[in-house]
Amino acid sequence: MALKALDIYKILPKKNCKECGFPTCLAFAMKIASGKADPATCPYLDEETRQKLGAATRPPIRLVRIGVGPRKVVVGEETVLFRHDKTFYHPPGLMVEIPDTWSPGQVKVVAAQIENEMFTRVGQDLFLSGVAIRNVSGAADTFQKTVAAIEEMVSLPEILISDHPEVLEAGLIECGTYRPLLCAATDANYTSFCRLATKFGCPLTVRAGSVEGLANLTTKCVQEGVEDLVMDPAATTPREFLALSTQIRKAAIERTVPAVGYPVYCDTTTYPDPDAACALGVLKYGSLIVTRPLEYSRKLAFLTLRQNIYTDPQKPIQMAPGLYPVNSPGRESPLLITVNFSLTYFTVLGYLEGAKIPCHLLVVDTEGLSVLTAVAAGKLNETLVRESLKKFGAEEAVSHRTLVLPGYAAPISGRVEEMTGWKVMVGPRDAADLPEFLEKEMG
Amino acid sequence: MTWSGEIDRVHIGATKQEGGTRSRVCTVGGAKNLPFLEGASEMPLIALEICDDTGSWSPIVLAYTGDVTRDAGEWAKKAEKEFGADLVRLHLTSTRKRGFSDVRGVRTTIEAVLQGTGLPLIIEGSNEPSVDSEVFSACGEAAAGERALLGTAEADRYRSVAAAAVAFGHGVIAQSPIDINLAKQLNILLHEIGMPHDRIVIDPFTGALGYGFEYSYSVMERIRTAALKGDTDLAMPMISAAADSLNIKEVREAPQEVRDETAVMWEFCAAFSAAVAGAEIVCVRHPRTLEKLKKGFAHLAGEG
Ligand code: B12
Ligand code: SF4
Repeated sequence: MALKALDIYKILPKKNCKECGFPTCLAFAMKIASGKADPATCPYLDEETRQKLGAATRPPIRLVRIGVGPRKVVVGEETVLFRHDKTFYHPPGLMVEIPDTWSPGQVKVVAAQIENEMFTRVGQDLFLSGVAIRNVSGAADTFQKTVAAIEEMVSLPEILISDHPEVLEAGLIECGTYRPLLCAATDANYTSFCRLATKFGCPLTVRAGSVEGLANLTTKCVQEGVEDLVMDPAATTPREFLALSTQIRKAAIERTVPAVGYPVYCDTTTYPDPDAACALGVLKYGSLIVTRPLEYSRKLAFLTLRQNIYTDPQKPIQMAPGLYPVNSPGRESPLLITVNFSLTYFTVLGYLEGAKIPCHLLVVDTEGLSVLTAVAAGKLNETLVRESLKKFGAEEAVSHRTLVLPGYAAPISGRVEEMTGWKVMVGPRDAADLPEFLEKEMG
Repeated sequence: MTWSGEIDRVHIGATKQEGGTRSRVCTVGGAKNLPFLEGASEMPLIALEICDDTGSWSPIVLAYTGDVTRDAGEWAKKAEKEFGADLVRLHLTSTRKRGFSDVRGVRTTIEAVLQGTGLPLIIEGSNEPSVDSEVFSACGEAAAGERALLGTAEADRYRSVAAAAVAFGHGVIAQSPIDINLAKQLNILLHEIGMPHDRIVIDPFTGALGYGFEYSYSVMERIRTAALKGDTDLAMPMISAAADSLNIKEVREAPQEVRDETAVMWEFCAAFSAAVAGAEIVCVRHPRTLEKLKKGFAHLAGEG
């Protein structure tokens, strides 16, 4: 368990000399406990205390960075077993496998697609994270050529997969400065893998089939000077993966086995049912998920699942409330009301833009609740509509006095009309029907 | 992980010996741990959803399933024989029409479905308070002795469905809008009017993937962990149906050649994840989703 401020205070030197930058040892202890100060800044700690504090105050799961630049994958630093306990912070990297036996043409197509293909949902850009280049050929030069071809074309985070250090080294000649993840060191070969990781400054995957095995191996790698580690529990079935990844997450966040405080690796290509394995990896603590190339439907579904699981359960993704012009409206264009839940806003916007209908969209502050939820909770009401009309200058923006409410807000339409003095029209429930409605009703 | 609580067992369906006509009985519940971990319950069951008025049913499913969708009995038969469902969930969508009065038709449909399949049945009655009482008692009676699961009880309309379940020996689905406290309250209300705990299945309401699914996933995890920690008012099996999956934009507007695949992946992701969060029964509409889930669950349950 993490140490509390008082426990930390007890083992501090209690000189109150302020050299750490805090007025008292106690103030310093409180900052350490909340993770906002580094114990090492007190010059009077003996080695034992320093280590004790270091272990207790560093995040239970190490943050590991793979790749460089805007697309780099950052995983780890998770703090809970269930998302409802707080949130999950770092979405897993979805890494697409590219075997080095593929033709250059095939490599090109797949790599380019991963780099370029993007989906926008709820105002967020979703894409696959990177590539996992696998040495299937067994030959170092073939591997090196594939890595070189990919390097030449895209700047995606990479995993280099081979059991042979000399093969990996050949690949590292091409991409060693871009922080690829090496995969995977075992008990038998970890010293040579650690040497490579140190030489190129890369993160390293370790592989062992149990919590104890992984803990042993990470401890040895840390002794060799490699701290950016990822763990492959080497499960043979999704069931085993779930059991191990759950044990690992629990042991890490409760700090019962601090040596497994690293992100978890999940190679779905090794399971008989890769789709189930991929979903499971996203749900249950996978941080790097290797998959075969995914076609449209799978890609979109898994990216959406990842987006769902990694949103903060305490605060829905929200839009700033306000009056938004859509398709360059004029003063006669219709005025529509919607809520500031991002999903709602972007859904409605999508249909309006698709139909090229000029209008004003007044986004009212329902604290991120959807229309139906906000109506059920009483948050979308006549007072809110009236205040929003005033606050965001709707009266000046349009020459008319007609507003369109979402179909699900029908129960409040009468009261809105009374309180605002505007004529109220109730639109359809489904925004997909909005263009047709506007054409018919508003001409 | 070790916990103090255990999930109640609920039986659905009754064989001849038990006074019904089903060829098998489904048992859900019994878990002493989180799903698929040591001590968890059996494999999750998969219900194929069918209906008696296809007006609002997904055209993707109708096109794939074919002409049998015009006859609920035949559809149910196919669900068992061809698609391999564990249960059939019949939605009496005909009762949702304005001015509905054909209660006799409801009985006929249920009889046809019972004829068509030997699988245990989930029956979804009306969702209009003014006809609830009539419809639910017709459902209860038409399936008397079959130990079906009747749906859906909600906080402000649970009496009719519970009365029918109590009178004819069925279980009920208790639905609450993604809220652990409301789920608990409803179970208590149902218990007070005579529903034993082992005849209640919790439906915490499932939003479609990308459309509220994250909330449903978490509320299921919360309900399950509360139950395992010993809250007996939440210690019932859960059922999940991301019913909107096939109506969402991503599926409706998917390119023609991948529309079926998108529908299947969307249903699959929500149903599979719901099972991982604790649902013992997951409901889907596309026959291919069912096949895919079976495979996924088998691997997770360690059977292949
Ligand atoms: C996720 C969810 C939640 C989440 C909140 C998510 C959020 N940020 O809003 C949580 C778990 C917090 C929640 C809570 C509650 N919920 Co809720 N929730 C849902 C769920 C599953 C999905 C909502 C959603 O995201 N919809 C998607 C968005 C895009 O839909 P939308 O905003 O309505 O927008 C659409 C249309 O309205 C239209 N539209 C939008 N703007 C405009 C504008 C114009 C001009 C037009 C014409 C159209 C239009 O286009 C959009 C796309 O078609 C729904 C069920 C459902 N399928 O809707 C239940 C649901 C809305 N919830 C419900 C309820 C009762 C509640 C609670 C009151 C329960 C409670 N705890 O007491 C609370 C209230 C919240 C509170 N703070 O008190 C009920 C409402 C019942 C009713 N008919 O009134 C529902 C229907 C579930 C149910 N069947 O029981 N909920
Ligand atoms: S530097 Fe160390 S001894 Fe001095 S006040 Fe800070 S914690 Fe106390």
